[in-house]
Amino acid sequence: MSLEYRIPLGDQMPQTITRPALSVTKLEDKAYELREKLLLLCGEYDGAVHIGGDLSSADIFTLLFQYGMHVDPQDLRNPERDRFVLSKGHAAVCMYIAMAIRGFFDYEEIVRTYGRLDSAYGMHPCKVQLPGVEVSTGSLGHGLPLATGMALHGRRNAMAHRVFTLMGDGETGEGSVWEAALAARSNDLGNLVAFIDRNRQLMTSFSEERVRLEPYPDKWRAFGWNVIEVDGHDMGALVEAFDALPDPDSDTPTVVICETVKGKGVDFMERNLAWHAGSLNDKDLQRALASLADGRKAA
Amino acid sequence: MTMAATTEQITSFTFGDLLSSRTVIGQTLKELGQDHDNLWVLTPDIGATLVEFRDTYPDRFVDVGLSEQACVGIAAGLAAEGNIPVVSGMLPFLSMRALEQVRSDICYPNLPVKIVGTHGGLVGNGGSTHYAVEDLGLMTSLVNMTVTSIGDPLMVGEVLRQSMDMTGPLYIRLAVGKKDKVVYEPGSVRIEIGKGITAREGGDLTIFAHGETVSQALEAAEVLAAEHGLDARVVDMFTLKPIDEDLVLRCAEETGRFVVVEDHLAYGGLASRISDVLVDRGVRLEGFRRLGIPQVFAGFGEDTELRDKHGYGLTATVDAALAVAGAKGGAS
Repeated sequence: MSLEYRIPLGDQMPQTITRPALSVTKLEDKAYELREKLLLLCGEYDGAVHIGGDLSSADIFTLLFQYGMHVDPQDLRNPERDRFVLSKGHAAVCMYIAMAIRGFFDYEEIVRTYGRLDSAYGMHPCKVQLPGVEVSTGSLGHGLPLATGMALHGRRNAMAHRVFTLMGDGETGEGSVWEAALAARSNDLGNLVAFIDRNRQLMTSFSEERVRLEPYPDKWRAFGWNVIEVDGHDMGALVEAFDALPDPDSDTPTVVICETVKGKGVDFMERNLAWHAGSLNDKDLQRALASLADGRKAA
Repeated sequence: MTMAATTEQITSFTFGDLLSSRTVIGQTLKELGQDHDNLWVLTPDIGATLVEFRDTYPDRFVDVGLSEQACVGIAAGLAAEGNIPVVSGMLPFLSMRALEQVRSDICYPNLPVKIVGTHGGLVGNGGSTHYAVEDLGLMTSLVNMTVTSIGDPLMVGEVLRQSMDMTGPLYIRLAVGKKDKVVYEPGSVRIEIGKGITAREGGDLTIFAHGETVSQALEAAEVLAAEHGLDARVVDMFTLKPIDEDLVLRCAEETGRFVVVEDHLAYGGLASRISDVLVDRGVRLEGFRRLGIPQVFAGFGEDTELRDKHGYGLTATVDAALAVAGAKGGAS
């Protein structure tokens, strides 16, 4: 497709920030660490934590922060950094911990202050209270338009970074997602990459029973996006998917649809509507940690 | 800051003429785009007069089509990257369909996005889908948002120019923007966001207005002077938030009687802002009348016909002024 006044791009700026690009084995260790720390926080905090959607997206967070994204915990505003927009804002605690493991934040401080008065770490992320977070989110369907604006800035200024966003599949019921899908394609934003945590659950229902998203990849293809489908818990496959992303100066935005399991890693939470959000007493915490450890042994 | 800089850009108009606010916006944005290489203009399929900006700075212009929510969200994303986005569109849709994006994507992180649009009030004969009559109530309730409503087309350019230094969001409400009355002699008044403009001096009562009702208030003041010997002050309270408290209090002290007339729901707009100041400061007026749209969906008709029908036209303004002026020693 062509626009009436198509923007010519200059030479791309260089990307000088390195990325961790850990091995698959190390990534799996990091993902395990993330899940373990999530459960420990969940045991520590009295209120409900969105543990189901945290666990389904833990491997994606690990891929982005420990493998793919060019970000520097010591230089938060470096213009060359890749941007990350957490559209499924209720997974904030998973992002905080993934970023803590990457060196952005102090995990102990997150556990100590999460959800408490004057804490920077709340249920949904706030960029004003927590520098390092790119945008304040929480209301669903807002991330893709925001990421589109950020990608437009990069694109029109011929910058080499990418803008990543992570959405839940449920939130793509919001019309604003598809408005932005149109806008991103119409503006040739090949530097925009949307990961979707396709855990097939909403808060109160299973998505295909209540809201029929299938044929889901075709919906994105119909909007002109480049579609990658991947097992969202197979770290090797996630790495392959990441490596298959088109260059940031290409013309087509990419969606990576990650098939996942809500509550992944803890047997009594997996695909269980009761565990969209919850808190863990000591006994349940021990059960959860044991289940997580068993899963690792089995693998 | 005065308007002198603006008027140099506009080549042919005379005081009292009708001028297109949209043309002024287009010209001003083109001019500002020169000095501010981070100024962007976005629109959801509105704004033929933005063509100048688009053609001059195509790399900083985005028309997303009919997608108000995405338009505001994209503007927020651009602002997060250090840009100054101006979103131009029709206010009923920007203020309501995209309200949550305005609130959570722009106001929450306090980003310098300007929202400028037309169809504020019962204008354009579009019917109630196309009248923004709740917008000022909605926008003034948002944390961090600065809210303006402008009638004089030349003021629009000046407010846009001043807004380049603002760190937070700004809402600029226009009526139709195709033919607007030039209210002020260029250079004759000081325009500053957050300060009301005394458009006419007077000591018997104060008529507060904003947007296109300012010219109506001035007309009413002339009728009051010529036919009733009443000396009405007219205040153009073009910034509704933050409200110019000092000016409200001064007018209360000096005139003691208020009429507020606005092309907006009578409750939730300027009259409510002014009432809040008076109640909070414990000021009791000798007379107060609010004129605006009652709790109805207003129907079709020309602007002036609708104002007359719903009780906030010229005649109603004169009558309200007479009522408060005659209400010495008690509430009207």
